Amino acid sequence: MTDDVAAAEEEMVVESPDTVPTPAPDRSSPSDDDVRIAPIEVATPAASASTGPLPMYTRDLSAYFGSHKAVEDITLDFPRNTVTALIGPSGCGKSTYIRCLNRMHELVPNARCTGSVMLRDIDIYGRDADPVAVRRAVGMVFQRPNPFPTKSIRDNILAGPKFTGTKLNRSDKDDLVEETLRGAGLWDEVKNRLNAHAGGLSGGQQQRLCIARALAEEPDVLLMDEPCSALDPQSTLRIEDLIRAIKERVTIVIVTHNMQQAARVSDYTAFITIENEGEPGRLIETGPTKDVFGNPQNDRTEAYVSGRFG
Amino acid sequence: MTPPPPPPPPPPSTAALPPDPGGPAAVARLRQGPGGVVADRGYALVAGLAAFLAVIAVGYLIWMTVAQTGEVWSTFGVWGFVTGTEWIPASAVGTAVYGALPFIYGTLMTSAIALVLAVPTSIGIALATTVFLPRRLRGPVGGFINLLAAVPSVIFGLWGVTVLVPFLRPALDWLANTLGGFSLFGWPIFAGPVTSGSFLVSGLVLAIMIVPIITAITREVLLTVPRDQQEAAFALGATRWEMVKHAMLPWSRSGIVGASALGLGRAVGETIAIAMLLGNSPVIFGSLLGPGATLASVIALQTGEASGLQLSALTALAVVLFLMAFAINAVARILVRRGESAGRGGGGMWSLLAFRRSVPAPAPAPQAPSGPSAPGDAAEAQSGEARDWTPRREPLPITGPDAVARKRRVRSGIAEGLIWFSLAVGIIPLVAIMWEMLSKGLPAISASFFTTLPPLDPNSYGGGISNALVGTLILMGVATVIAAPLGVLTALFISDVSKPTGWQKRLADGIGFFVDVLLGVPSIVVGLIVYLGIVVVQEQFSALAGGIALAIIMFPIVVRSADEMLRLVPVAQKEAASALGAPKWRVTWSIVLPAAGPGILTGILLGLARASGETAPLLFTSLGNQFFSTSLTEPIASIPQLIYQNTIQVQTPASLQLAWGAALVLVAIILILNLGAALLARRTRPLEAR
Repeated sequence: MTDDVAAAEEEMVVESPDTVPTPAPDRSSPSDDDVRIAPIEVATPAASASTGPLPMYTRDLSAYFGSHKAVEDITLDFPRNTVTALIGPSGCGKSTYIRCLNRMHELVPNARCTGSVMLRDIDIYGRDADPVAVRRAVGMVFQRPNPFPTKSIRDNILAGPKFTGTKLNRSDKDDLVEETLRGAGLWDEVKNRLNAHAGGLSGGQQQRLCIARALAEEPDVLLMDEPCSALDPQSTLRIEDLIRAIKERVTIVIVTHNMQQAARVSDYTAFITIENEGEPGRLIETGPTKDVFGNPQNDRTEAYVSGRFG
Repeated sequence: MTPPPPPPPPPPSTAALPPDPGGPAAVARLRQGPGGVVADRGYALVAGLAAFLAVIAVGYLIWMTVAQTGEVWSTFGVWGFVTGTEWIPASAVGTAVYGALPFIYGTLMTSAIALVLAVPTSIGIALATTVFLPRRLRGPVGGFINLLAAVPSVIFGLWGVTVLVPFLRPALDWLANTLGGFSLFGWPIFAGPVTSGSFLVSGLVLAIMIVPIITAITREVLLTVPRDQQEAAFALGATRWEMVKHAMLPWSRSGIVGASALGLGRAVGETIAIAMLLGNSPVIFGSLLGPGATLASVIALQTGEASGLQLSALTALAVVLFLMAFAINAVARILVRRGESAGRGGGGMWSLLAFRRSVPAPAPAPQAPSGPSAPGDAAEAQSGEARDWTPRREPLPITGPDAVARKRRVRSGIAEGLIWFSLAVGIIPLVAIMWEMLSKGLPAISASFFTTLPPLDPNSYGGGISNALVGTLILMGVATVIAAPLGVLTALFISDVSKPTGWQKRLADGIGFFVDVLLGVPSIVVGLIVYLGIVVVQEQFSALAGGIALAIIMFPIVVRSADEMLRLVPVAQKEAASALGAPKWRVTWSIVLPAAGPGILTGILLGLARASGETAPLLFTSLGNQFFSTSLTEPIASIPQLIYQNTIQVQTPASLQLAWGAALVLVAIILILNLGAALLARRTRPLEAR
């Protein structure tokens, strides 16, 4: 199975955000009535390229804070090497949902979730799944850039391998630092001060450092929770470039409340909202981004993407 | 209270009196409000005078003290006194010799033992109560530790003498028998005979005393570590210990150093518990199982009967002690500053307790998003970078026993084990003290305990502490009446009245520095200062002198917390009031004080709680009294002192029972004060959050 994954990763080259790979058939879908990624009818040049197993999908995922249900029954697929955007009004539970995908949600007092999150077809909430190992395989980038300010830029990149006990010799470390910083488009800006404190970088640079730090662990999936909401427009554009560039190596799930951003960077879009006061957030519509934005099937989706609501 | 300042010159615009009601005159009137200039100057004058008065009064007492030391310097010379190894008070035979070194040694040795034991334990407890304990238990356990920071040292001394010394005796005897022959470069560390008072026991009790202080501040500092730092570590796949090690400890290192330094400062100045536990013998590099003396303990034990050259020598010891405490606090401050300027987090609590306000270090959060952050060459830089990428390794397993490397598991497990161990080690003596106090104190307490005098015969049971209870309340009252208004007015002068530029800023900074120095003065030194400046001059021990000593301890706490609270009032609120045309005094009265009021009261209560448990400053000021007295000009009894006397000077089963009962009452008083402070502090929280 792991061989398959590696092979699939190597043969995948996705060039443009418009490229839409065909989603894999669901094997564990509990019911076909559920809203989930619609079958792709759009013919695209690269569509035939990806038929590998889904790196991650969720089934009937509900999340709670104490007795309050924040998110209900979300079933979603995240095809390999694509960007899936989760959009929806503030407070609809999209951040809560994404935090369930790497078991960060349970770190909040009294928080829990039900349903399943499958990573490499293994339930990450299964009995023998280790949350620490899960978080290593599913990277996360947060709203506010959070590099370790007392560590150097270099040590920030190496924090992940250090935590996970990966033995690296010096040249391996140098390679990893350079490779991930290049991957995050930060190398040229920081190559002369790799030993400077990360706290001295600008907000945008810090966020790219955080992306690089996450990539250094070579996660299967990278979760991004409104990664640009604390950044200025120019830094935002750079992050978006970066997202398009790194999806060839990692499957990305991004939460954003900026619809232009969702349209610019994502291959798929899922719209989550709270329909009535006090209800949990539910998945309303999902599909290829251009369909969700260009031809929404649901009235609420249409209202939201056209800016009439939310 | 103060004579009105000279009539202000009329505002120039009103002099012209233009007929137009909407003209500049009306505007000027609005801006100043009726009588605004006079009132503003009066307000500034009152606040300035209060600050000035406080500084002058304490400065005078200090001067009186330092003047007392002249005789020692001229007899032995400064160097000769400080390095002198003998301390032989005048007696029938021979001449008196006074040298400070044995006491300097004793102070450093007891403090070192305490610090070595207390710092790791405190960090462990702080981590346990912020990260590792189940969330529901963190608050209560942390609160329990906080509570113990308020237990007066005389109670630790009482517990040490009556419980710990007998309990440890067999272990210490065993130590002397097995390791007694061992010596390190001629220093017989564990040589017998084992005495009831010893360095080891004193250091241990000191450690128990400073664990709550270091823990409380460390905990506070750890709680300031931003959530996103912790999440960053978790999201990279860190275990809890790895998260602590890489995200929390580096962030709070300077705060932890500061907390330890504060604990050291307390240990160095600690008087009463040491006086009860270390004995009174000036030795250098004697056995750790034998007696010694510290600067503070010898002052406490000998000042009462000293005169002439001996009193002068004791005063000189106080000067040495003060300089040591000052140096420790100054070094701590420098360390903390350096840590903060490197972009590390300081602690909120730290600034309340420490010397100066820390430099306004911006949180190491993202910088302003605008500005020259992302240079224009962004796009070019991007395009040139490597795009070809191949996975470096097989995906790591997410299930099974080896999903997290065994080595990491073991290491994290050991670290967590040590943290649990330190929690247990730290909590056990604290629980033991509480237990002892309840089990021995409660039987002593009855209705008559509050209404009768202590028995004159030390061997007879019964009796009460009416005189000490009333005395403590009177002393607290005197201290509050002096320290609260002066403290609040001084704080107002520092942060509200003085302009942030020029000589006024320098004056405010100077007063602030003075207050900080005062905050670090060991309480026994305060007692000695008041003794020399007031009691000796008046030739009369008095409740008033005791109250003044407590006020000197309370004053800097009140100033610092009030200052802190005043600065928390958002500038926008003050500006809003000023923009409506309110004069300065009105802004302060209607906006600043109501907003900061609960916080200021909190500071007063905390200062009072601290002062009410003090024994050392009362030893030779209010002296103590077997009988009932409410006179301010007579010696007066107090609870801490009653405990001290019953433990040390009397020490019969009956007197100890009375002491435990008194201890329970004292802790109850302090608890109530702290509880009130905590409730008030909770009310100010929203203000702080802004």
